[in-house]
Amino acid sequence: MTDGGVIFDLGYKPHDGPRLGAPGAFRATVKDGIRRVLGLRRKARKKVLPFLLLGIALIPAVVVVGAAFLLADFDPESGTLFGGHSEFFGWVGTLVLIFAAFSAPELLVPDRVEGVLAVYSSRPIRARSYLLARATALAIVMTAYLLIPQLLMYVGFSVLGEDGLLSELVGRGDELLKIVGVTLAYIVAFGAPALLVAVFARRTATATGTYLAVMLVVPGIVTGLLEGRVAGARFAALLTLSQHPDAIRDWVYDTSTPTLNLVRAGWDPWVSLAAIAIVALATGFIGIRRYRSEL
Amino acid sequence: MTAPIIQTTGLGHAYGDIVALHGVDLDVPPGRIGLVGANGAGKTTLIKILLGILDPTVGDVAVFGDDVRTKALDIRSQVGYMPEGACLPLAQSAADFVVYAAELAGIPPKAARQRGSDVLTLVGLHEERFRYLGDFSTGMKQRAKLAQAIVHDPELVFLDEPTAGLDPEGRDEMLDLIARLGGYGINVLVSSHVLVDIERTCDWVVMLDGGEVLRSQPLSGLVETGTVEVDVLGDPAVMAAALAARGADVTADGSVLAVQYTAGDPFDLILDVLTEVGAGMRSLGTRSTSLEDLFLAGTDGGGP
Repeated sequence: MTDGGVIFDLGYKPHDGPRLGAPGAFRATVKDGIRRVLGLRRKARKKVLPFLLLGIALIPAVVVVGAAFLLADFDPESGTLFGGHSEFFGWVGTLVLIFAAFSAPELLVPDRVEGVLAVYSSRPIRARSYLLARATALAIVMTAYLLIPQLLMYVGFSVLGEDGLLSELVGRGDELLKIVGVTLAYIVAFGAPALLVAVFARRTATATGTYLAVMLVVPGIVTGLLEGRVAGARFAALLTLSQHPDAIRDWVYDTSTPTLNLVRAGWDPWVSLAAIAIVALATGFIGIRRYRSEL
Repeated sequence: MTAPIIQTTGLGHAYGDIVALHGVDLDVPPGRIGLVGANGAGKTTLIKILLGILDPTVGDVAVFGDDVRTKALDIRSQVGYMPEGACLPLAQSAADFVVYAAELAGIPPKAARQRGSDVLTLVGLHEERFRYLGDFSTGMKQRAKLAQAIVHDPELVFLDEPTAGLDPEGRDEMLDLIARLGGYGINVLVSSHVLVDIERTCDWVVMLDGGEVLRSQPLSGLVETGTVEVDVLGDPAVMAAALAARGADVTADGSVLAVQYTAGDPFDLILDVLTEVGAGMRSLGTRSTSLEDLFLAGTDGGGP
């Protein structure tokens, strides 16, 4: 320790204030998780991707709403590159998928590989709470990515409405419910598999690569199987995890995307809902089993 | 004895067929406790059971009187842990991590920031607190590990091989820090196979061997033999005879006499007899044995 600083004995002050126990530990883990995935209080390079993605997610919404303000005959719900809320989910969903690919490993892998779990093991937090806190942190930031541009569009379009802001906001209330519901589907559908991969990976890059392969490459393979009418291809379509939230979105907005493997295979949207729920539950179950011996 | 901080009864743990702990009965009082044993003796397993990470296969275990099985989270709010291996997030600054460690223990954020700063100063990392932990040397990492273990003002801190990897001067500073923790009202359980470290810092020792307790008792009683040694200038045989005549039990090894005397103060007796026989002395003192000698003697020296 000779290469360190000098030890000053300035006395020791015991802590006689409150102790927040397990709820405090949970909140701290969530807060740390949010900072970690956004690269806050980390080196500058850790901030680049999350804020770049956030900018990419926000700019189209700002442009669409701005154009609607400036151009009298601009119809924001149609004729734009991103269309309305439904189409915008497809666009921002891809960004959120990329974000989850890089963020979920960042939340779990370093703690395990660098031995930090040993510190958690001496704090009032168990495996279940730790994993839930990390998932909450990921979900909060993913929600921000999905919801902020959508809410910007929602409020912007309401301002432009003919009945006044308040009436438009209330009148478009069902739209808000749809936005929240579909946001939830994207978060769980993209977040859970990312965490599941991160639970096992020894390196963040491995986890990111595996996740992107599962989410982006598998759908292409399944498309080939479906087009080739290979036996079992219909069930293989269920493995196109990245398309399940798109199916939910189409269900909620009463639209259709014929190119989805799930549509081609003839699966109803509720099957996608069930698939998302099953993957989420499996992630929780497997994760807790994996971490139980360490926390 | 004051109320024990650690109590175990018939405690055992097995990893499959491998028995790590067997029949561990302990009543450990507050203070600085040394947990000694060879690698594989069961030290880390015992600490993990005390933290509630591992469930005992058999037996009961309590910390501060609370059953670890049912009140693990309450106990964890009152303890700290400095693991033997790496436990620091390399991409985080020392200040951020230590503050986070305090918040994780339930300290409110504002108090956690203050305590983080104070504790990093205490361990000598004030100047380096904003550096990333990945850039720290081994010694600085050990200090940061200690800082995270005590930042929340625990009642008991588990230190697992705290001097591992340190150079002599770093080891010296770490042992000084550990010795000072008792003065701050923090009970310490130091796990180490470096017995000299335990002798220097602890007042109670628990010896484990092959998953069983060899001894659990005060260190002073363990290393002090109750024998006084005098190195005689003159004829040791005459001196020995005079001491024996006064009722002392004497054994000679050259000019050195080992004297056991229970009827009074052995030092006074020796000084009186030296005067009586007209001899001088080179040295006079209590004979003590090292922890290492006792450990190597194994169960021959008595049980817990």
